[in-house]
Amino acid sequence: MSETALIEISTLVKRYGDKLAVNNVSLEVHAGEVFGFLGPNGAGKTTTIKMIVGLLQPTAGTVRVAGYDVQAQPLLAKASSGYVPDTPNLYAKLTGRELLRFVGDLYNLDRKQVAQRTDELLRMFDLTAAADDTVDSYSHGMQQKTSLASALMHDPRVLVLDEPTVGLDPKSARLIKDILRQMADRGAAVFLSTHILEIAERMCDRIGIINQGELVAVGTMNELRSLGKAGEVSLEDIFLGLTGGAEEAEIAEILK
Amino acid sequence: MSTMTPSLSYRFLPAVWKLIRLRLLISVNGFKHAKIRRKILTIVAILGLLTFAGFILFLSWILLGFLRSPQLMQYVGLDVTPFLQAMPVLVFTGLFLSILLSSFGVLLQALYLSGDMDFLLSSPVPIRAVFVTKLLQAVLPNFGLISLFGLPVLYGLGLSGHYNFLYYPLVLLTMIALALAAAGLSALLVMLVARVFPARRVAEVLGFVGAILAFSCSQAGNLYNSFGHSTNVSGAQVSNMFTLLMRFNTPWFPLNWAGQGLVALGEGRWLTGVLLATLTFGLSATAFMFSLATAERLYYSGWAGMQVVARRKKPLRTVQSDAKRDASRPLTASQGILALGMERLLPAPVRGILWKDFLLLRRDLRNLSQLITPLIFGVMYSLMFFRTGGLPSTGQGEAPAWLMNSLSLLLSYGNVGMSLFVGWWLLGRLSGMAFSSEGRNYWMLKAAPLRASHLLTAKFLVAYLPTLALGLLFLSGISLMQKIPLAGFLYSLVAVPMCLAGMNGILLAFGVVGANFKWEDPRKMSAGGLGCLGQFLTMLYLPLAFGLFITPLWLVSAFNWPQVYGYLVGFILGVCVTGACAILPPWLVKGKVDRLGEV
Repeated sequence: MSETALIEISTLVKRYGDKLAVNNVSLEVHAGEVFGFLGPNGAGKTTTIKMIVGLLQPTAGTVRVAGYDVQAQPLLAKASSGYVPDTPNLYAKLTGRELLRFVGDLYNLDRKQVAQRTDELLRMFDLTAAADDTVDSYSHGMQQKTSLASALMHDPRVLVLDEPTVGLDPKSARLIKDILRQMADRGAAVFLSTHILEIAERMCDRIGIINQGELVAVGTMNELRSLGKAGEVSLEDIFLGLTGGAEEAEIAEILK
Repeated sequence: MSTMTPSLSYRFLPAVWKLIRLRLLISVNGFKHAKIRRKILTIVAILGLLTFAGFILFLSWILLGFLRSPQLMQYVGLDVTPFLQAMPVLVFTGLFLSILLSSFGVLLQALYLSGDMDFLLSSPVPIRAVFVTKLLQAVLPNFGLISLFGLPVLYGLGLSGHYNFLYYPLVLLTMIALALAAAGLSALLVMLVARVFPARRVAEVLGFVGAILAFSCSQAGNLYNSFGHSTNVSGAQVSNMFTLLMRFNTPWFPLNWAGQGLVALGEGRWLTGVLLATLTFGLSATAFMFSLATAERLYYSGWAGMQVVARRKKPLRTVQSDAKRDASRPLTASQGILALGMERLLPAPVRGILWKDFLLLRRDLRNLSQLITPLIFGVMYSLMFFRTGGLPSTGQGEAPAWLMNSLSLLLSYGNVGMSLFVGWWLLGRLSGMAFSSEGRNYWMLKAAPLRASHLLTAKFLVAYLPTLALGLLFLSGISLMQKIPLAGFLYSLVAVPMCLAGMNGILLAFGVVGANFKWEDPRKMSAGGLGCLGQFLTMLYLPLAFGLFITPLWLVSAFNWPQVYGYLVGFILGVCVTGACAILPPWLVKGKVDRLGEV
């Protein structure tokens, strides 16, 4: 892992009317790092991610991607990043191959490069057989893989993923985990949000936990363990401890 | 672990009631949470429909009473008694066919596309109750609408013929029985089709065909009149119509039994009436139960969910072959210059969006139906235009000469008017909805390193190029037919593209300001009244813009100055103003494009 910060979030705030969705979040993700972003539903994960990739304007604070300010230099920042949303809304009437070509055009890639990269990505994600079918005939998992393939089309230095493994079969989930690790090993910064704590614990170098819009903890697993109470060794315990796990425990008791 | 056993309701009728109540609750909630304007409109519409039904009842009563009068037969010599007796058959045939066809689309949605079937079938509710509810859901709205017209007619028939009291409830019961039987058969038809074709594609095709048919039918009357066909109906035509309608009233037609049974009961011919009514109810119940049981079985066994006809793979004349061919084949010098020129002129993102949008416009039938409409309009009005010979109607011949001359002069620009009209219609959809049509996919453009100017250019061209092609097609075609002088035609070749470009700029700007990415139904793509405002403004813009091109021509002709000055001044004025309209409005909203899609 290098010391070069590829994602720099500084005192980020997002307000919707009276509601404070993200409150003063600051963190850095370095080159070669897989960063896990955890939090309960409605904690502000997706809002933060959307501000990182330039889909949403922050109320205050700055986000720099690959050294470029997302607000001041959006084109350079966006050219350096790839994004996989939680719901893969893709152009339903394009084929998988056409969609990747379109993405290649959006990122101003050379036509030969696009053709070659498209074939590589389709093979890698096991989509070659369905490459000339329209996206609306794909299963959710195939659409998720197509979405990831389009995010990797321009070989970004920063990859931002919102719940990338939702709806994937174990084989595809494993493939995605391997790809993310490989990207990080090649010097990219990977920022992913997930609800699956096992994924975060096993594949992330550092983890940030957001609750009610505030970043309540950030660090490696060992650093997070030191933040928790004695006996909290698993990420689940630490997560529940930091995000109001007592309430969940009560609910679990009722359900027993 | 503490256990809580839900109270299970396996009984059929309570389950049906529960599911219907759920639908009612959804409708009531929809009404409760609607905007006040929508609530008022709904109430007014319901009251209007009820008033209309009352009016039909009154009209049928009076009219049918008149038709039954012996004096009519005596003076006109037209015996309409067989027609009156066949009237219930006609109404029932109409009802049956309408429900059969209209339920198809609703059932396709309800069984395959609504997404609640899995939830309902996995809950402890009898599967039959789910299907009955779905059938009722499909039948009720259309049944209500058809009854609103059919019921008053049949009640009017009863009142005018002094039928006994049993006739009236039996009319309603027969209509219900026939509607349910039709819906049951429709459900089977849906499953048969869904077995062969993907349900979503069928729904798209249905929507496309329905829209085109509805539009064509609505315009057929205009075209018919324009060709000089009279709408006055002669006695012979009435007689022919009666003969045609009477063909439904054959003894072997099952819907005849329903109609004749009712008439017989109404007139007090009890034996025939009871026999035919029993036959009708028996057959309807059998058809309904058979359809229901078969549909359940086909759905549950998975037969109706599995497409047996494998889709033929399209030949790979797609990106794969294109890209590989492009990559492997060396470019000739001229091709290289052309490619370089294209790349300079249109950056890759612009070309990418153009290519993507043209593919989507062609493939998505929901778009296609909206794009074909201007074409139909254009062809129809062109035919009407040529029917009148491109000359104004002389009327009583009392109009002053100057008025007739001005009208003739205006109509000599029929070629331009038609192409601008078609362009206005097409641009309203393509340009006004250019951004909204991205819908939930807009994130892909938003997350990409795409300049607002590139996006605007791409969207401008996506709307402009097909409109220009269609506009020039109409312009050339009509000019040829009108034998327009070459100079005038060449001048129009400049004026029309420029007017369309200006209109495109205005509509595109309105499209950006009113962009809506949250639609599910493409008909709700346009949010608020901005789209209408844009259309209205361009309606004013078009004559003004074209006026700038042609007014100098009129002036030089009025003052006997050389024609070339008129062309020159008109060209400069027109190009400057329309060019400004093409560029300025999109430029004004450029900043807004950067912020689009941010909640």
